[in-house]
Amino acid sequence: MAGGKVNDGPRILVFSTDKISDPAIDMAGLLKLHYPPTVYTISIPCSSAVKPRWILHALEQGFDGVFIAADGTDCPYGESCTEKTGQVVSTTMQMMKDKGMDPARLKMAAICSVCSEPFVNHVKSFSEYLRKSSNS
Amino acid sequence: MNMQEPRKTLEYDVLVIGGGIAGGESAINLANLGYKVLLVEKDLSIGGKMILLSKVFPTLDCAACITTPKVSEIARHPNITIFTGTETRKITKKGEHRFEVDILQKPRYVHIEDCTGCQLCEEACPVSVTDEYQYGLVGRKAAFIPFSIASPRVAAIDIENCTLCGACERVCPTNCIDFTMTEEEFLVKVKAIVVATGFNLFDPLKIPRYGYGKFRNVLTSMQMERQLAPTRPFNTVLRPGDGKLPDNIAYVLCTGSRDKSVGNPICSQICCMYSIKQAQLLMGALPMADITIYYLHIRAFGKGFNEFYVQAQDMGVEFVKGKVGKITEKENGNLILRYEDVEAGTVQEAEHDMVVLSVGVLPNLGISDVFENEKLELDPFNFINQSDMLASPAKTSIEGVFVAGTASGPMDIPDSILSGGAASAETTSYLRRESL
Amino acid sequence: MKKKIGVYICHCGGNISDYVDVEKVREAVKNEEGVFLAKTTMFACADSNQKEMVEDIRKEALDGVVVASCSPKLHLLTFRGVVERAGMNKYNYVHANIREQVSWAHSDNKPGATEKAIQVVKAAIAKVRHAEALEPIKVKSTKAVAVIGAGVAGMRAAIELAEAGAEVYLIEREYFVGGRTAQWDDLCITEETGKELVTRLYDEVMKHKHVTLFTGAELVDYSGSVGNFNLKVKVTPRYFKLQCSSDELQKAIEVCPVEVPDEFNFNITTRKAIYHNYPSEYPQLPAIDMKNCTRCGECEKVCSSVDFSQKTEMLNLKVGSILLATGFDPYEPKKGEFGYGEIDNVVTFPQFKRIVHYCDDKLMYKGKEIKHIAYIYCVGSRQVDGENKYCSRYCCTANIHTAITVKKKYKNIYNYHFNRGIRTYGKAEVWYDESSRLGDIYLQSFEDHPPVVEKRGDQTFVKIRDILTTDKELEVAADLVVLVTGMVPRADNSIGNLLKVPKGRDKFFNEIHMKLRPVETVIDGVTIAGASQGPKNIMESMNSALAAATKSFSLVDSGELALEPTVARVNEEACEWCGKCEEACPYSAFEKVEKNGKTIAKVNAAVCKGCGMCLPVCPENALDLIGLSDEDVESMIDALIPNA
Repeated sequence: MAGGKVNDGPRILVFSTDKISDPAIDMAGLLKLHYPPTVYTISIPCSSAVKPRWILHALEQGFDGVFIAADGTDCPYGESCTEKTGQVVSTTMQMMKDKGMDPARLKMAAICSVCSEPFVNHVKSFSEYLRKSSNS
Repeated sequence: MNMQEPRKTLEYDVLVIGGGIAGGESAINLANLGYKVLLVEKDLSIGGKMILLSKVFPTLDCAACITTPKVSEIARHPNITIFTGTETRKITKKGEHRFEVDILQKPRYVHIEDCTGCQLCEEACPVSVTDEYQYGLVGRKAAFIPFSIASPRVAAIDIENCTLCGACERVCPTNCIDFTMTEEEFLVKVKAIVVATGFNLFDPLKIPRYGYGKFRNVLTSMQMERQLAPTRPFNTVLRPGDGKLPDNIAYVLCTGSRDKSVGNPICSQICCMYSIKQAQLLMGALPMADITIYYLHIRAFGKGFNEFYVQAQDMGVEFVKGKVGKITEKENGNLILRYEDVEAGTVQEAEHDMVVLSVGVLPNLGISDVFENEKLELDPFNFINQSDMLASPAKTSIEGVFVAGTASGPMDIPDSILSGGAASAETTSYLRRESL
Repeated sequence: MKKKIGVYICHCGGNISDYVDVEKVREAVKNEEGVFLAKTTMFACADSNQKEMVEDIRKEALDGVVVASCSPKLHLLTFRGVVERAGMNKYNYVHANIREQVSWAHSDNKPGATEKAIQVVKAAIAKVRHAEALEPIKVKSTKAVAVIGAGVAGMRAAIELAEAGAEVYLIEREYFVGGRTAQWDDLCITEETGKELVTRLYDEVMKHKHVTLFTGAELVDYSGSVGNFNLKVKVTPRYFKLQCSSDELQKAIEVCPVEVPDEFNFNITTRKAIYHNYPSEYPQLPAIDMKNCTRCGECEKVCSSVDFSQKTEMLNLKVGSILLATGFDPYEPKKGEFGYGEIDNVVTFPQFKRIVHYCDDKLMYKGKEIKHIAYIYCVGSRQVDGENKYCSRYCCTANIHTAITVKKKYKNIYNYHFNRGIRTYGKAEVWYDESSRLGDIYLQSFEDHPPVVEKRGDQTFVKIRDILTTDKELEVAADLVVLVTGMVPRADNSIGNLLKVPKGRDKFFNEIHMKLRPVETVIDGVTIAGASQGPKNIMESMNSALAAATKSFSLVDSGELALEPTVARVNEEACEWCGKCEEACPYSAFEKVEKNGKTIAKVNAAVCKGCGMCLPVCPENALDLIGLSDEDVESMIDALIPNA
C-alpha cells in the first residue's frame, strides 16, 4: 500500500478515443498492468477532435501533463486523423510556448485498440518526465 | 429428483444453430429485419472459435475487440433468444415454412439471469480440472466462468467433475447455484433454419510421428493462439515443458490438411495465414526468437494476405519449403525436426525448442443426422453440401435450411461473415415467399 | 441544470470494492451539486438493481443518472436501456468507468484507487448536470436501391433486394448483362457453364417486377445522402428497334464496314460496329457501338430495325442506397512481358478460355495444332517490381481446372505449369491433385527468378530455374504460352470517383472493416460487392453480393433511418464563414449558407458522423459536438482536479 500522501504524483489527463484507445486503456486494467492513479481519462470520438483550449484549460487548472492517446491509422473516421491530431498538438504546443509553459507537458502517441502495454509505458515515462521537470 | 415437466413449445421465425461468428451474423441480420430468432449454441458461451483467438490476420486487430461487441449486440437484441448449452436433437420438416425441432438444454446448475459473474464460486471450488477453453494449457475449477469474455459471462458447474461439496453454493451472494436443475426439452416451431455449426480442429494425436501429447513442447496452433490472446493464461509465451521462454520456434503447416493418410485431402484455407500471423505476434512478444515455418505452398490468397506474407518475410520469419516427416525429443525438451528440404533436394534435420502444429479444419459432423424426414446432403469431404453453390451459396439440399460459415467448408473470418450475411439474405427471401 | 441526479456506485462483487472504498466514494459525492440520491450496489447490472433504478427514477422523478461501474463498452447501453424503461431520455445517462480504469488498473494502490474513483464519479456528475435530452436524427429513406453493374454479383444482389421488398434499379454500362461470367465457359467445382449461370440469373431478373434493368446506362451524377440519393443516369440507346428480323440483322452486320477488336473474345477476334450478341449475353438484342460507327448508313439500307433517331436519355432516380458491383478487369500484360504482343503464340488466360471455346475436336491456334502448353502464373499479381502486390486468388484454381478440361477434351495435351507456389485453397485442392495425377508438370520458381519466354527459330521456349529440382535450369518447347493473368480494378473508375469510394492498397474499393463491416464503405449508404472489392471467385462474389444486399436493404427497409444525434453544432453568432470546417470534414457535412444577412456554416446532421475533426480548426471556436461541448469537457476537467 502506498504510504504518505495519497496520489501525490504528477497529474495526467488522457484524451482517449471511444473506439480505439479507450478499449486499450480498459484492457490495461483487465491485465492489471498498473500505472499511476493520477492518470485520468476523458474519452472522445476521435483524437483529432481535441480542442487546444481544453488542453490549456487542463494545464491551467492543475494538470501537470496532457496525453493524447491518438487513433493513428486505425481511426474509423479516416486516414486524415493522424495528420489532424498532429496539427492540434503543434498548434497547442505553440500556444503553450507563448504562455511560457513547457511544451513537453503535452504528449501524443498512437494507441491501437490493443496497445495496453505501450499505453502504460507511455504514461509511466511521461509521469517520470513530469516528476523530474517539476523538481528541477 | 424433480418430476419431468411436460416439454414446452416455443415458436420463432428462424432457428440459427451455432452461435459462432457466422451464426451470429445471420441472427443479427434477421433480427434487425424484425424476425424472431432462436439461437442455440451447444457450448456454454456464444462467440465460437473467434472469441478465443488472439489477433486476426491480415489487419492484426484483436479478435476480442471484434467479437465482444458483436456478441453483446446478439445477447441484447430484443428479437434474439439465446440458448447456450443446448443441443439440437431432431429436425422434422412438416412442410414449407414449417419445421419442428427438438432441442435439449443441459443443466448449467446456475441460474443465468441471477448470476453476476462475481467468481466467488470459482475461488471457493476445491476441484481443479483441465481448462478446455485454454486448450489444456492450464486448469480451471469445477465451478467456473468459461472464460473472461464469455457471453453469458456467468458461472457454470461442471457436474462431471463436481464433488457436490456445496462450497460454491455457500459463497454465492445471489443464491443462483441450483443443483436441482435438470435437462430441459423444448419443441421449437420455426419457419426456416440456418445451420452454422462451424468446424472442428484436426486432432494431431492422429499423427503420432509428430509426438503431440508425448513431447510437451509440441503444441497445436490453437494452444499458441491462447498463449498470445489478451485473456492468455501465462501473460507471456512459455514452453509448457519447463516454463522457459522459447527462442527458436517451428511451425509445421498442413498438419492434418492436404493429407490423404489422415483422410483429409483438402487445404484448410486458414492455417498458412494464422501461422504467419502468430509468427508476427511472436516476433513482437519475443523479439530475440527465431521462427521457422515449414510449408508446402503458402496460400496467402485473400485481400491483404500476400502483402502480410511478404511483411513476415521482411520481418525475418524463415520460410522453409518442405514436408516435416518426423519429430523427436531431446533430453532438454528441444525437438529435432526431420524434413525433406525441397530446395536442397535432401532430407535435413533441424533443432527447435518449441514446435507448433498448424492444425487444419475438419467438418463438425453430426448435424446432418438430426434431420428426420429429409436428407441434409454432405459434400465429399463431409461438409454441408451447397446445392447451388454459384448462384445461391447458402442453399442446402433442403428448401428452407441454409448454411452459413465453415459448416460448408474451410473459410477465414471475413468469408465466414460474408457467408453469414448471405445465409440471412436467402433466409429472408424464403420467409418472404410465405407471406406472398 | 439538473437538480435530481441519481448516482449508483457498483461493488461489482468485489471487483471494484476490493480496491475502491465504495462507501467513501458515496460519501464524497452525495453532496455534490445536483445529486439527489447516491447509493452503492453489489451489482449495478443485476436485474434487481435495474428494477430499483427504474423505481427510483419514477418515484423520485430523477432528471439524470450516473452509474459508476465497469467500462461503458460493456454496460453503457444496458443502463441507457434502464433509464429509457423508466421514461427518461437516454442521453440523460452518464457512465463512469471505475473498474477497468480504476480498481483493476490500480489494484496495487487502494487509497489511490479510491481517490481516483471519487474524481471520476464527480466528473460524470459534472457531465450529467448539463446533459440534454436528445432525439435521434430521423431521416426518411426511399425504399429503393440502385445496383451498379449487372454481372453475376449485381444481378444476384438485385434479385435478393427485390425479393426482400425493395424497388431495384439495375444499371449496366454495357449493352449486355453477365459481365465476366458471360465470357467464361466451364466454371470450377460445379459443372455449370457461364452461359447457364448468366441465363438463370437474367431470367430471374426479368421475371421480377420490382427490378428495372437499364443497359447502356451510366451513373453520371448524384446528390443527397443515405436514405435519399438522387441519381442521374445517362442511358445510351441501342439504335435498334425492339423487333428485328435475324436475316436483316445478319445483312446489316455483313455490310457494316467498321471492324474493331471484339472485347468479348478478349480481342482475339474482331467484330463490326453493330454488335452481334453472343448466346450468353442478354438482352438478346443487337446494338450499334456509336464510338466506332462512322454513320455510313449502309446498315439502314438493309435492315429496317436500325434507328438512328433514338436519343440518349437522362433519367432521374431516387434511391435510399447504392450497391456497387462493378467487377474487375483482367490484367493486360505489357508488350514484351513474357513475350506478350511480340511472340505470336503467347496469349492471356482469358484469351485461352475463348480459344478453347471455339475449338472442336482439335485445339488449334493461328492454324497450328496445340499439344504442349506452358502456363505462366502470377502474371500481373504478386509483382516484385510492379504495383500489384496482391494475389489474385482465383487464377491458380481456374487455370488448373481449365488445363484439366483441355487435357480431357483433346488428345495428347501436355501441360506445364510454371508457378510461384500453387494456391488452390480449400476444396480446390482436389483439382491440383487431379492435374498432378493426370501427369501435368509443375515447375516452380521464386519471385526474383521468373521464367523467361524466348523465340528461337519458329519454336517458343519457356525457361525456368526450377526449385523443385534443386534449382536446375529447365526448358520447355511450347506450342502455346498462356499467361495466367490476375484481376485488376476497373480501368474506368468514374463511379468510384463520383461517389468518393475509398480504395485500398490494392486499388480495389475498400470496405470500412474487413470483419465488422465488410460490405459497407465510409460513404454511408454505399455498399460494395463482388470483385470490385478485390479478387474473388464466383461463389465468394455471390456471398458478398448477398451480404451487401442485406446491408443495403436494412438501410431502406423501414422507410426511416435513425442517426445518432451527437453531431457537430454551429454557434451561428460566432461563426464567420471561413471554410476551414468544410476542409476538415471527411464527410462533406458542411455547407455555406446565408442567414440573417451573414454567411455561416451549416451542418447537415444526416451526413455528420460526430467525429469532431472540425472542432479544433475553427478560429472562432464556433463549433461543438452535441454532448461534448466546451462546458461538458471543461467541467469534467475541473471535477477531475481534487479540491486541495
